[in-house]
Amino acid sequence: MNPEFIRTICPYCGTGCGIVLKVQDGRAAASYPDRENPVSRGSLCVKGWFSHEFVHHPERLTAPLLRKGDAFVEISWEEAIDLAARKLRETASTYGPDSVGGLSSAKCTNEENYLFQKLIRAAFRTNNVDHCARLCHAATTVGMLQTLGSGAMTNSISDLAGADCILFIGSNAAESHPVLMGEVYKALDRGAKMFVIDPRETPVARNARKLLRLNPGTDIPLLAGMMRHIVDSGLHAKDFIEKRTENVEALRTFLQAWPLDKVASETGIDEATIREVAETYAKAENAAIVYCMGITQHACGVANVIAICDLAMLCGQVGKPFSGIYPLRGQNNVQGACDMGALPNLYPGYQAVADAAIREKFQKAWKADLSDKPGKTVTELINASGKDIRALYIMAENPCISDPDVNHVMEALQRLDFLIVQDIFLTETAKFAHLVLPGACFAEKTGTYTNTERRFQLLHKAVDPPGKAMGDFEILCLMGKALGLPFDYASPAELMAEYAGLVPAYAGISFDRLERAGLQWPCPDEKHPGTRFLHGTTFTRGLGRFVIPDYTPPMEKPDAEYPYYLNTGRVFAHYHTGTMTRRSAFLNREIEDPYVEIHPDDASALGVGPGDWIRVTSRRGSIVTTARISDRVVKGSIFAPFHFTEARANMLTNPVLDPACKTPEYKVCAVKMEKDHEAQAR
Amino acid sequence: MLDQVKQIHPHVFTSPAELDALVLEPKWLFAKMARSVLRAKPAEFRLAVAVRGCDERAVVELVKRSQIDRERLLTIGYACGAEQAKACLCSRPYPEKLEAGEAVAGVDPFADGRCIKCYGCRNSCPICVCVPCKLEDDVWVERGVIPAEMVSFHLIRAFHLSDTCVACGACQEACPVGIPLMTLQLSMRAALKKDYNYEAGLDADRRSPVLFDFIKEPRPGQNVPDWVDSTGKKP
Repeated sequence: MNPEFIRTICPYCGTGCGIVLKVQDGRAAASYPDRENPVSRGSLCVKGWFSHEFVHHPERLTAPLLRKGDAFVEISWEEAIDLAARKLRETASTYGPDSVGGLSSAKCTNEENYLFQKLIRAAFRTNNVDHCARLCHAATTVGMLQTLGSGAMTNSISDLAGADCILFIGSNAAESHPVLMGEVYKALDRGAKMFVIDPRETPVARNARKLLRLNPGTDIPLLAGMMRHIVDSGLHAKDFIEKRTENVEALRTFLQAWPLDKVASETGIDEATIREVAETYAKAENAAIVYCMGITQHACGVANVIAICDLAMLCGQVGKPFSGIYPLRGQNNVQGACDMGALPNLYPGYQAVADAAIREKFQKAWKADLSDKPGKTVTELINASGKDIRALYIMAENPCISDPDVNHVMEALQRLDFLIVQDIFLTETAKFAHLVLPGACFAEKTGTYTNTERRFQLLHKAVDPPGKAMGDFEILCLMGKALGLPFDYASPAELMAEYAGLVPAYAGISFDRLERAGLQWPCPDEKHPGTRFLHGTTFTRGLGRFVIPDYTPPMEKPDAEYPYYLNTGRVFAHYHTGTMTRRSAFLNREIEDPYVEIHPDDASALGVGPGDWIRVTSRRGSIVTTARISDRVVKGSIFAPFHFTEARANMLTNPVLDPACKTPEYKVCAVKMEKDHEAQAR
Repeated sequence: MLDQVKQIHPHVFTSPAELDALVLEPKWLFAKMARSVLRAKPAEFRLAVAVRGCDERAVVELVKRSQIDRERLLTIGYACGAEQAKACLCSRPYPEKLEAGEAVAGVDPFADGRCIKCYGCRNSCPICVCVPCKLEDDVWVERGVIPAEMVSFHLIRAFHLSDTCVACGACQEACPVGIPLMTLQLSMRAALKKDYNYEAGLDADRRSPVLFDFIKEPRPGQNVPDWVDSTGKKP
């Protein structure tokens, strides 16, 4: 048979690159960059180039599995769906609607996320549905809603190429969103100035005009210092502030508490540098702020985001092309999973469950009685497992690697009466399930993902799921029908019409219109071309609001017993919990073993050489990993990628949460290290 | 200086009154002129010279080589603009001792510090078919680290394709971060064209000169040792 070439979207990060899959004899045999994709325009990173490698991996789940003691046995789909529906219904009727919860998935399509949250909400009358955005950009959604009125990236990826000044704060896009860096480099080639604010010397920092290695968790003092200097020098955008914003006086009062000398001693950045960065940003014709987990994964993540919004509004660097605020979304469809209402307090399109009129709209559309009480977040669902939460349905999430303090997560999941995990591999989380449902991967489904710039893009099914595995859309339809819901959708395209009718911002979006280049929401009608940047004439909330970013230093600082800071993150060859990338031969060859980066001085003090096995311990857990000696980290700090099941960085992390958005403080905790002679001898 | 007929040329100013005519563009380098001026003058003569980054570095080297007496020369540093930096592919378009102008970022001519190791240059190449690939050989390329090394990654790839590159530009087009890979490829194609009149892909019957013609068509004046003959035949 001749090979077929199928256009689809990369399943890894939120950049949303276009992939052309070569299909030979029913197998995805190669990945090529899609030259017509408007985002990636013929480029891919290494993960995209090898995206086909895990698709036909022998460990793919091929049939529903039922736990029998310590083992799993294969069962039929009829049995599986019947059992799942029965158990969930029994739980809800015994313990009440709020005893059931679901984790939806930023890896799945918009249509699947919409179905999942509708299923939980309509079948059980609870809002206990959330997904991993809680662990990454929940702070963005909460913070930007307060200041700008929309939690989405304000501008488009291609706008970066036209910026004159780019601040990177807590984003290592060169490894985490590699293809997007191309737009940044186009700006630098035009003479744009890039400053990187990060405790680590990341590959992005190598190309920066200056790297500001601030003390961990001191982003608010730094941003406050910049704003203080901008206001004191009269560089703020007076006209913009006057016409477009409110509450600037409160900000001015707040800034009185942050004179530059105090900022310098708190952050470790000298005053001249703070002045230089502040002036460059304020004076630039168009300036952009790119940020990521280094901002959000703190106990004061929401306030960090607010401080960024305040700075952008103070200088009028938002609401126009080539400027704006770029919270880079992690997962391929984390934007979409949020958009589709896989959140415990919001229906699709960020419409509040607590708002009676909105609830009425959804009750009518879904012909169901809905709860007015916001549900539990990811971390709360896990904490309450076996207590208030008796049954949990997890679709394509792997909290046993991705959540903080995973020892605690594993204990919690074992307390559940019934755990359903729907995934493509028997993940660390699926191993605790009572029922495992085999889903489909990106190459095996039709649907849409929404990338970090709000662009809906089409996936085309290239190959069939293996064995009896089924598309997540189809599984959810079966599950919904078993629970008495009218889930008779003929296709994802038909389902899209339903949510396009419920969310004005998606009203003009349909599968037909997405074929060529996708569409960026808001897209309110069928003729609308989509929206390149937000907040153009007014902010989504009307006036932009200056909010006071309250500073909270990191909750756990190094002490005599645990003398090092631990920072966690991603590396270029792997993705999140490693379920896919570690089963891709090429990617896994690139980085096979877990490691931590250790400063040369700390390494020599501990007698640790490159590649040596070491034990890293926090108050919550302990891992054995290898040492990579590098001055990319500062003395006294170590960095651990969190992809490795055999040495899970999240055994160590601190589950303390931002009180407003419930995002954990992954970026800072205290650890100790020692050489592991036992592992070294092996 | 800008003289009365609006011409710009180097000038030794001797009185403050003349300084209105001082201009710093276009680019002139004064280090060697300063050397000759100082040499022609008595030992007590002192000179100040306006220097760009490169000129300042030239002064440093000439002092190092005892060509200029640093005691007799004062440098006044000024920065080049972005356009000049780009024209010179300059990585440091400003002096260490900056006294006028604002330093602009240097140009990274090969931009290899940007490499995200996507392997797109290799994957998209219509000729790259080796198994195993040298880029996957631990002897040459360190695993798990970005940016990939210039010498071990990009040059190995370029040399490996030196006699096969058909100048399609696919590597450069596939590069997400804009590394000008064709700069390497085209210069190697040009060398083969010049020395052997060979262009990959044009003549179906002629074998690569790197593998074969090296024996048949040595460059003028070049001695070819016997052991180079991989076919076992003497030329």
